[in-house]
Amino acid sequence: MEPLIQGTAIAPAERRMIAPAGAGNGLQAGEARAIVEVRDLRKIFRRKKPAADSSGWWHRLPITRRVSEEFVAVDTVSFDIHEGEIFGLLGPNGAGKTTTIRMLCTLLEPTSGTARINGYDVVKQSDAVRQNLGAVLTGERSIYWKLTGRENLSYFAALYHLPPDVAKRRVRELLERLELATRADEYVERYSSGMKQRIAIAKALLANPPVLLLDEPTIGLDPQSARTLRALISEIKDEGRTILLTTHYMEEADQLCDRIGIVDAGRIIALDTPANLKRSITQLDIVQLDVEGFDPALMGALQGLPTVQHALARYDEDGGAWSVTLQTTDSRAVLPAVIERVGRSATIRNVNIAQPTLEDVFISLTGKGLRD
Amino acid sequence: MMVRRTQSSGLARRSAASHLAALLAIARKEWIIFRRYPSWVMAFVIWPLLYPVGYIFSARALGGPHGSGLTVFNRLTGTSDYLSYIVVGSTMYMWLNFTLWDVGLHLRNEQMRGTLESNWLCPVWRISIMLGSSITKMLIGLFVLAVTFVEFRLVFGVSVVRGNPGLIALILLLVSASIYGIGLAFGSLVLRFQEANALVFLVRGLFMGFCGITYPLQILPSWMQGVAAVLPLTYAIHSIRAVTLSGASLAQIAPDLQWLAGFALVLPMLGYLAFAATERRARRTGSLGHY
Repeated sequence: MEPLIQGTAIAPAERRMIAPAGAGNGLQAGEARAIVEVRDLRKIFRRKKPAADSSGWWHRLPITRRVSEEFVAVDTVSFDIHEGEIFGLLGPNGAGKTTTIRMLCTLLEPTSGTARINGYDVVKQSDAVRQNLGAVLTGERSIYWKLTGRENLSYFAALYHLPPDVAKRRVRELLERLELATRADEYVERYSSGMKQRIAIAKALLANPPVLLLDEPTIGLDPQSARTLRALISEIKDEGRTILLTTHYMEEADQLCDRIGIVDAGRIIALDTPANLKRSITQLDIVQLDVEGFDPALMGALQGLPTVQHALARYDEDGGAWSVTLQTTDSRAVLPAVIERVGRSATIRNVNIAQPTLEDVFISLTGKGLRD
Repeated sequence: MMVRRTQSSGLARRSAASHLAALLAIARKEWIIFRRYPSWVMAFVIWPLLYPVGYIFSARALGGPHGSGLTVFNRLTGTSDYLSYIVVGSTMYMWLNFTLWDVGLHLRNEQMRGTLESNWLCPVWRISIMLGSSITKMLIGLFVLAVTFVEFRLVFGVSVVRGNPGLIALILLLVSASIYGIGLAFGSLVLRFQEANALVFLVRGLFMGFCGITYPLQILPSWMQGVAAVLPLTYAIHSIRAVTLSGASLAQIAPDLQWLAGFALVLPMLGYLAFAATERRARRTGSLGHY
């Protein structure tokens, strides 16, 4: 595949084995070195909450009405990301993905643990870390809407210390390659969400960093823009860059990532290739029902059926029906009882024995869905 | 595990010159954005003229016909040119006001715009993000000063550009350092508390009431004079008036200059310490991205 930017693809780096074969994290002997190393990373926030006994008027005073409590956002997380791979952190909102990425890009100081990007410590060598990574954080307001696309990139090129002639060439190359050249001199406020996100990615690529951190890059994009962006992320990987991607879209993680860490409540609860993760639950059958007029109160009964390990129901607003997922060790045995119980008070539109997805892996590990 | 570094950002060339270029890029970006809001430009032309008008007509009313009531004012200030007296004070105050709003709210504006973290992610000195913006604000401030003096010359026939221009430049330079130090500390506090108005009103009120913008300090109660003595604007206004209205020499305003030099040394340092403390706290709490 043609490199994303002519002449700026990452050159093959010196390789070295960093883990024995079959180390249990999807890594094989002879694979690339770890360019991102995270060890026992932990982040605790202090947050205010109302006092338990707040009946007296004095509890309404600003200094007395709240007490402080600790909230563990990231709980002793460890992982390596190898040179040239796309590593995904997959988990529901609030799982700790964004906090992890913010610690890696030096915006947030870990409470304990260490992290290194390309050998540089995120706390002690934060400037060198910032020089070695490009980051795109959630939201489309990371660039100046009152500047044009070209002005934005030229501005950030100066902040990344690109010499003026290099900056000019680099900005032109990125605008052309990301198909923004024809509108480069328009204010960003006139761009679509997809174009704003592409400018944000171009900004992250300005200094040709070996590592890219993308926090929910397709959130809020229409399906076409999201598809375009995923293709772009694959191309960036093909240049030899290493990408850490957070997402709560399982299809996105499945399609893009070489390895995935599934995150819940601040911890990585599983880490492997998408195929291995799905293979880990092949002993389970995934039964999916589309149901009209489903009563969520039935979930307890379904969960209690023999051989059912997990049950989950979600209302699909677009389709106007419920999607009920059951993970069972024997779908043939349980299906008649399921149909009988659900069909008693609702209309079953469709029954399907599905292939396991990453969300099924998440359900089997946590008992809840990614979008709960 | 320690790994050997095999790649680095190949395109960046960090040096003192590149840091300076980054600083200028920040200043240029602020200037471009400023120009794209024409209403700001209009406001900066109109406001300097409107702001002191209330004070001027109050003074004219109190001065009585042909300035017959100005004897006491003359005795206290050494001049009966109350128009110039007010213009000098109010212009200095207005300048401080612009600075507090613009420099002090710069980081908060970036935060609300959503671009603060984007800047923070770059390998640039944090203080440059603040100082780069200050360069633009200083130029805009000088523009406002020039507009003010031209407008007063044309509308009221008042010329405050007199006396020794070198001394005036020295006073402005010293008081600028103090004002930008206050702006830096102020900006850090605003970022910390994520609320600007209460702080602006407090600081603005302090300078407005205590620095003798439109009246001599001698009429203030002694405790207020004590507060005025620790505010840099008091000395700036006093010395600029002395130079422009009475043609004072360097030796005559030396005590004021000593105070201003002291403030110019201490306040930027305090501002930097406040900024550094806010930055450390933001890294600990992640508050940069908070709205």
